[in-house]
Amino acid sequence: MAEVRMIESGRMGRVAYARIAPNEDLVLSVEKLCLAEGFGHAFVRGALGSLVDACLERVDGSCQVIRGPAAEIVSLAGEVRSQPDGSLRAALTGVVADTHGHLYGGPFVAGANAVCVTFEVTLEEWLPSPDN
Amino acid sequence: MVEKLMGLPRSRTVVHPGPFRPVRIDRMRDEKGRHFRLSLPGGRTLHESLVQALADEGVASASMTLLGGELAELGFCLALPDPTGRVLATYGAPHTVQGACFIFGNATLGSSTSGTPVVHCHGAFRTADGAVRGGHILTDRTVVGRRSVTAVVTALDSFELRVVYDDETRMPLMRPQARRVHG
Repeated sequence: MAEVRMIESGRMGRVAYARIAPNEDLVLSVEKLCLAEGFGHAFVRGALGSLVDACLERVDGSCQVIRGPAAEIVSLAGEVRSQPDGSLRAALTGVVADTHGHLYGGPFVAGANAVCVTFEVTLEEWLPSPDN
Repeated sequence: MVEKLMGLPRSRTVVHPGPFRPVRIDRMRDEKGRHFRLSLPGGRTLHESLVQALADEGVASASMTLLGGELAELGFCLALPDPTGRVLATYGAPHTVQGACFIFGNATLGSSTSGTPVVHCHGAFRTADGAVRGGHILTDRTVVGRRSVTAVVTALDSFELRVVYDDETRMPLMRPQARRVHG
């Protein structure tokens, strides 16, 4: 059986909080926020708000759309990582509630999750050790 | 490289009733967030426990993750399209359920323009009949039960989170602001 592999050691650095406005994409906004704050890598947490419609990726690569308006994000976690070309990529997963309070979960598809009213997010900068 | 899109849908946008605000990401940064882990006891509301414990540490603005626990009483509401059209979406009537299991949630502590503490919380929970639901948690109507709720808190000391009226959405919304200078 394969063993657990330590990918990286490091520590948390700065903290950023943002309010993202309507019609901005959830995943891309988190990447833009990291670029604006100069965070190379970040842990995404403390997020809540609503989406016009939520779009979650299924195992087969297709999408599950939860119609709003105002599909509420009840929990979200993820990370932003620097890519070899210097770009940033956010991978976010979470749980959303529809207008009846029913829950759905999965990865948020980049470019397909527009904010409805507001989205609040907290980013914790991740600083990998130089000796990784 | 050609990426296979697998029929991804195109995002739908919405039009809010007020004027478009050019700033789309309001952001502030703290050089080092202070971290706390709180145990919220039975018999008290989430709002009362969070606000008081953090005020005791001099914390007025914070981002929180709430971990599972038992709720003797749970108040929540759902976001619904506004039938009057005054705003795009509004909160429906409050629901109250007795005896629920809190699964997890996220919350923000800030203040109103008058300085009153405000907790904005979304969460998932399981009701006594086994149904799993989620939505906007009314922390002042939610009383912790026998099993305490744990809160992991990142305090934001170098700026404030304040609820201000937002012209675009016509709703009071939490926004990061420079700290007010007192005195």
